[in-house]
Amino acid sequence: MKQSAERAPLFTDEMEEGFTLTLATEEAARCLLCFDAPCSQACPAGTDPGSFIRKLRFRNVTGAIRTIKENNPFGWTCGTVCPTAKLCELACSRTAIDRPIQIGKLQRFLVEHGWTMGFSPIKNQQGTRGKVAVIGSGPAGLSCARQLAINGYQVTVFEKREQPGGNLRYGIPPFRLSEKGIRREIDEIISLGVTLKTQTPIEGMGGLDRLQEEGFQAIFLSPGLWNPIRLGIEGSELEGVMSATEFLGGLRGDQVSQIEGMVKGRIVAVIGGGSVAMDAAQWAKKIGARDVYILYRRSYKEMPAEEKEKVQALNDGIHFLILTQPVKYTGKVALEGVVCRRTRLGTPDASSRRRPEEIPGSDFEMPVDIAIEALATRPDPTLKEIASVTWENNLISASEETRQTSIPWIYAGGDIIRGPALVVEAVADGKKAAQAIMEHLEGKGE
Amino acid sequence: MKDLSIDFCGIKFINPFMLSSSPVSNCAEMIARAFDAGWGGVAYKTLGTQVEKIIHPSPRLNKYNNQACRMVGLQNVEQISDRPLEHNLKDISWLKKHYPKHRVVASIMGFSNKEWEILAKSAEDAGADMLELNFSCPHMAIEGSGSKVGQAFDLVEMFTETVKKVTTIPVMAKMTPNITDMNEPAMYAKKGGADAISAINTLAAVTEIGLDDLVPKPNVFGKGAISGYSGPCVKPIALRFMAEMAMNPDLGLPISGIGGIETWIDALEFLLLGASTIQVTTGIIHYGYRIVEDMIEGLSDYMEEKGFNSVSDIVGKALPNVHHTDEFDLMRQGVVEYDLDRCIGCGQCYIICQDGGGQALSWDAENRRPVMDEDRCLSCIACSFICPVEDMIHYKEMPKGWVRHDPEPMED
Repeated sequence: MKQSAERAPLFTDEMEEGFTLTLATEEAARCLLCFDAPCSQACPAGTDPGSFIRKLRFRNVTGAIRTIKENNPFGWTCGTVCPTAKLCELACSRTAIDRPIQIGKLQRFLVEHGWTMGFSPIKNQQGTRGKVAVIGSGPAGLSCARQLAINGYQVTVFEKREQPGGNLRYGIPPFRLSEKGIRREIDEIISLGVTLKTQTPIEGMGGLDRLQEEGFQAIFLSPGLWNPIRLGIEGSELEGVMSATEFLGGLRGDQVSQIEGMVKGRIVAVIGGGSVAMDAAQWAKKIGARDVYILYRRSYKEMPAEEKEKVQALNDGIHFLILTQPVKYTGKVALEGVVCRRTRLGTPDASSRRRPEEIPGSDFEMPVDIAIEALATRPDPTLKEIASVTWENNLISASEETRQTSIPWIYAGGDIIRGPALVVEAVADGKKAAQAIMEHLEGKGE
Repeated sequence: MKDLSIDFCGIKFINPFMLSSSPVSNCAEMIARAFDAGWGGVAYKTLGTQVEKIIHPSPRLNKYNNQACRMVGLQNVEQISDRPLEHNLKDISWLKKHYPKHRVVASIMGFSNKEWEILAKSAEDAGADMLELNFSCPHMAIEGSGSKVGQAFDLVEMFTETVKKVTTIPVMAKMTPNITDMNEPAMYAKKGGADAISAINTLAAVTEIGLDDLVPKPNVFGKGAISGYSGPCVKPIALRFMAEMAMNPDLGLPISGIGGIETWIDALEFLLLGASTIQVTTGIIHYGYRIVEDMIEGLSDYMEEKGFNSVSDIVGKALPNVHHTDEFDLMRQGVVEYDLDRCIGCGQCYIICQDGGGQALSWDAENRRPVMDEDRCLSCIACSFICPVEDMIHYKEMPKGWVRHDPEPMED
């Protein structure tokens, strides 16, 4: 490994540029090197910024990279898309002086730097121990797979889609998470001896039982949530009304030119106020939409998207229509407009955000060519057929400690047990389940 | 603005701020710009006879960074001037003609008595106000020159004497710090007739080694060298030499202070320890000539605030407070106290008190605050150096008779 290289070749396409070694060193110099670092305590996946920043500070760059990678197979992804302002950076002591250390950005830099330097601290293990199947190749599934692989297990990951990555690829636009970066991070996991089978859905009654018959001793279920909740208002069948899942997934998949053709020069309305809504709105703008609106039924403050995502969207020229509830799509064959109703905020609801109340007689119609509904997502209904694990509130029940389901050899993690969650939480589930699976299989062998 | 002029060897300097003999004083064009920026004088880049052609190694410099702090030190392998002597002399004359109020000190280095004579006479003839004898460059590529001379004290005396015999202008001998006691060569220079001392030249050092090729930097085509090191990191060492020479009653010569000066406070500290002019190079290589503006304004405002009317009133003002450590009153002791209302809970104080102090702090994990046991505090006050909250930790003197608790011996 060359000690002297300064700038990473870009793994990042059109993403915001990251740190160079010099800038990262300057940022690390701001760190207070806290005792019992609060940032490290605040990471759901147990990544240890307190250590990797100290290592960078003391020019132990390889050690810093090792700290991240040993702990988190998606160090680059998490450093890039983690809502650090709500996690490690919120806990940062430096905030009391001026502003927190840019922990996510440092983490992203260190992983990129390792790639540039050709430093890979995680070594391949010959898989000779048990056989484990992972369903779904998102961050939860691949984290579980890696943890098992580096401990000598033979892991096969079954992926329904053409490419691995789950939500990282099909749910996040490339200007937030580049194709090259995703590929690099996933390739590293696969290269540890994980078998990846894409376009291989596990379907039908007793699908997991059949895998068990094929010799898989344990299964980690991490299929994600790919069934979008729809608004279900009048006119939803019109051409041009779609879900964010279709929009984002199509642009990452095989419908790029089709979607671009639909959006270019047109008026787009994105319904919702979360990160996915911001992503969809910004992407629509980038591929040439004339005007992009965000329609959100509460106010700016209640939008669940991160502050910086909201500000970016505003600065990209996205029009925010808050306190606005779509009530009807209009048009003959294709969408022509959206009828909206003004709302006002009432008393707090279960999410402790103030409940939007519709204002009678406030309806107005706006011309819209494309409506993208970015609401929550639910599990694919066919999932319930493949194994008779226990479900609760439309999610799979899994133990907090082990991520074991009601069937002892089936484990589950990621969005399927949590609802829409963070990448870093999915990583934590995968690691936790891998540990439990190993203990489970070792116990069986004795 | 205060009048910052000062008399140095009977010559009036408009202010005590000079360029030292180095790349920053290489030619008249550069020096003119420095004078325009506010510098009061220059030690012109060392003249040689060019009998042996001077060629600078390439590359010439290397930096010493500390974490994110750039260029806290600078290493160089630069030689004396590589320009023809007549060009340098012409430039000196030009400067004296166009900047009559500014002072041009010609630095010279010969390799024999004859050469010292030639250089001294021609510099004086060109109009130089003073001479500075370079006995101190630690990396001359020619044998028998530079700090080799400065370390052979009889040569210091001999060459000073040689120069004094042929010139009428004041002569200043520039000392190398690569010795144990600078008063020794300084006294030899005085015996040879020197009118002033300048110090320090660069320290012999190695700043960095290439981790891929294992060659120290600057890497001159596969070769590194131990060579001259300068910049803020050497300032404390330079101040030591200042004080030692200024407190030597036998020496009694004016001193031009050099070593890591970047701000008016650095310059002031040299003045307080006995320098009456100061010289700068590394600060200029880092920031440019413009830094003199802040030195002038800062020193002037300080003098205004403290009621000093002239720079000479400051010179040596701190010397009476410099003592040997055996003169300290050890009966007076203290501890540090914390203003915990302002604490942000980083816990660095706890770590360093445990590992580098007296284990006087314990850690309240729940509230993330240090808890002080005064009786164990060493009053090293290291915690106050690293605390990120300004002025949160203060020194406090303890009443007479207070006794610090020593650590108990370990027992099974």
